[in-house]
Amino acid sequence: MRGALTLCLLLLAATLAALMLGQVRLSPVLLWQGLSDGEGPGALVLGTIRGPRVLTALGAGAVLGLSGALFQTLFRNPLAAPDIMGFTAGAGLTIIAAIALGLSLPMPLLAAGGGLVAALLVALLSQRRGHATPPLTMILVGLGIGFIASALSSFLLTLLPHTQAAEAQRWLTGSLAARDWSHVAQVWLIGALLAALALAQLRRLAALELGEDLAAGLGLRVGPARMALAGTALLLAAAGVAVAGPVPFIALMSGPLGARITGAQRLPGRMLAAAGTGALVLVVADLAARAALPGIQLPAGVMTGLLGAPYLLWRLSREMEKGEL
Amino acid sequence: MLRLLGLLALLALALVLALSVGARPVTPAVALEALRAYDPTNPDHVTMVAIRLPRLAAGLIAGGALGIAGTVMQVMTRNPLADPGLLGVNSGAAFALLIGATAFGAAGEASVALLTFPGAALASALVFILGGGLRGDVGPVRLTLAGAALNALLLSLVTAIVLVRQDTLDMFRFWVAGSLTQAASRPLAEMALIAAGGGIFALAVAPQIEALSLGSALSRGLGTKPRRVQAAALAVVTLCTGAAVAVAGPIAFLGLMVPPLARLIAGHSLRRELIASALLGAALLLFADTLGRVVMPPSEVRAGVMTALIGGPMFLWVARRLRPGATA
Repeated sequence: MRGALTLCLLLLAATLAALMLGQVRLSPVLLWQGLSDGEGPGALVLGTIRGPRVLTALGAGAVLGLSGALFQTLFRNPLAAPDIMGFTAGAGLTIIAAIALGLSLPMPLLAAGGGLVAALLVALLSQRRGHATPPLTMILVGLGIGFIASALSSFLLTLLPHTQAAEAQRWLTGSLAARDWSHVAQVWLIGALLAALALAQLRRLAALELGEDLAAGLGLRVGPARMALAGTALLLAAAGVAVAGPVPFIALMSGPLGARITGAQRLPGRMLAAAGTGALVLVVADLAARAALPGIQLPAGVMTGLLGAPYLLWRLSREMEKGEL
Repeated sequence: MLRLLGLLALLALALVLALSVGARPVTPAVALEALRAYDPTNPDHVTMVAIRLPRLAAGLIAGGALGIAGTVMQVMTRNPLADPGLLGVNSGAAFALLIGATAFGAAGEASVALLTFPGAALASALVFILGGGLRGDVGPVRLTLAGAALNALLLSLVTAIVLVRQDTLDMFRFWVAGSLTQAASRPLAEMALIAAGGGIFALAVAPQIEALSLGSALSRGLGTKPRRVQAAALAVVTLCTGAAVAVAGPIAFLGLMVPPLARLIAGHSLRRELIASALLGAALLLFADTLGRVVMPPSEVRAGVMTALIGGPMFLWVARRLRPGATA
């Protein structure tokens, strides 16, 4: 209980800081005025720029975190996250391809579509007839798909003129710049729907977490249950990517980090903690990316990459000491 | 012996095709003539000497070096998915290139190699160590993920630099899709020396590496000092990968494809396997480059993309075939 309170307080503090800090600083008084009366300079900044940006970050971070935790629990492996398994690279490839072909579809939707296609490919290619798919095979196949997608992306990037290449590079990183209220509505509505769908399947996930044989013994139809859960988790990731771009590592980090902050043991608690932590990480990363260096606005994805990669390396050395890799 | 001759014939075919096929086809006879009696007024001869020959040399150096580095890496980590061109090395080189360009102003083509060599060499050493090259028995997932993690970290830094300094973007994007097209402006002779040094060193320590791959207890019984052999292997990987990246940019998947094929040809002697890897790597890279010139005229598909298109499916195939016990 105390852990959950800590997470809530951290989220509140990060949200307030993200609303106040930036190129124009808002004092607590201005922030309060803007929030309560809708007047003054605070209201302008909050209503048009920072409000939608922070709320989008919270929503996107939460769905990505929840998606990662679902995957990690489903495959019983802390490395099984959509951003490791080809999703991000697939999203990047579609973005560049769309810019190269001059398609004028909304970029984030394309990214989500590309990610989904890559994930389906991974699922198909790592299946073997008559065998259960070992999670590590899936991770390796995902990495392979990721390598191929990024080779193709870097080739397409050479075909673009300079300005378009710069645009593509920005989209590839995952960014929260220039979000408006439609993004907020989109990610929160779709996210809430999918999260409800995921929570409804938690009982089955709990059974699967015991292992496939036990789950089958409990009367669960393992195949369909896994498919439904993986599908929900993928759509959650796509919903996040659709508003924030392929921000790396949020899905990978949030589950374990959330469990550590809140100390949650039971499945629903762990899932909520992962969602909360995802939101926290993305809001903080975005704040750091836009306010850390004066005069320079970096996309949030740069920060999550800088945070997430050392985490992944640390995780690897831990797993090796435990003898699991 | 017969197999070695076959391999040499394959390489010869690759050489002839690499010299004659392209936007301006040149018959092999004219190519030979250009070498013996160079005539600066003959456009065929100019194409030959100014474009195709440097490109050929770059292909030989990069392909051979990546073949050797790949074989050493796969034997040392006992991991069929190890590939020097895949794992963090490219982004290490890109990072060094951009740091250099930002610090010293936009770098000309000539300084590219000066910057990419240390970047690629450092990154390959780091991935080799992180991925268990000094520990022996660690599963394939670890090396691959260590490479992916380093890649993500460095690419985040690269993105930050590129977005802040827009003038570096063009340099980055044209360099990062590896190709042999810039060969004429790269320091081919120096890198050929470095790659050859790495290759000879690999041949010299091959018996010790082989002994080590039997397991550390057994190899100590044979009188091998594991630390020294690991350091030697690391040096080979570093030199060869650095040289390859400096002449051709990042070429992924070549070091992954070559070693198993070389083993098929050469059997289980590491020395013969290394020679076969060098020949095969050079031949494959030249084929990939030549193929890239003809598939999408008038533009060229870069050699790095061609190797990814051929090697990527092979990566997936190997990943699927690894027994669950081996991947766990």
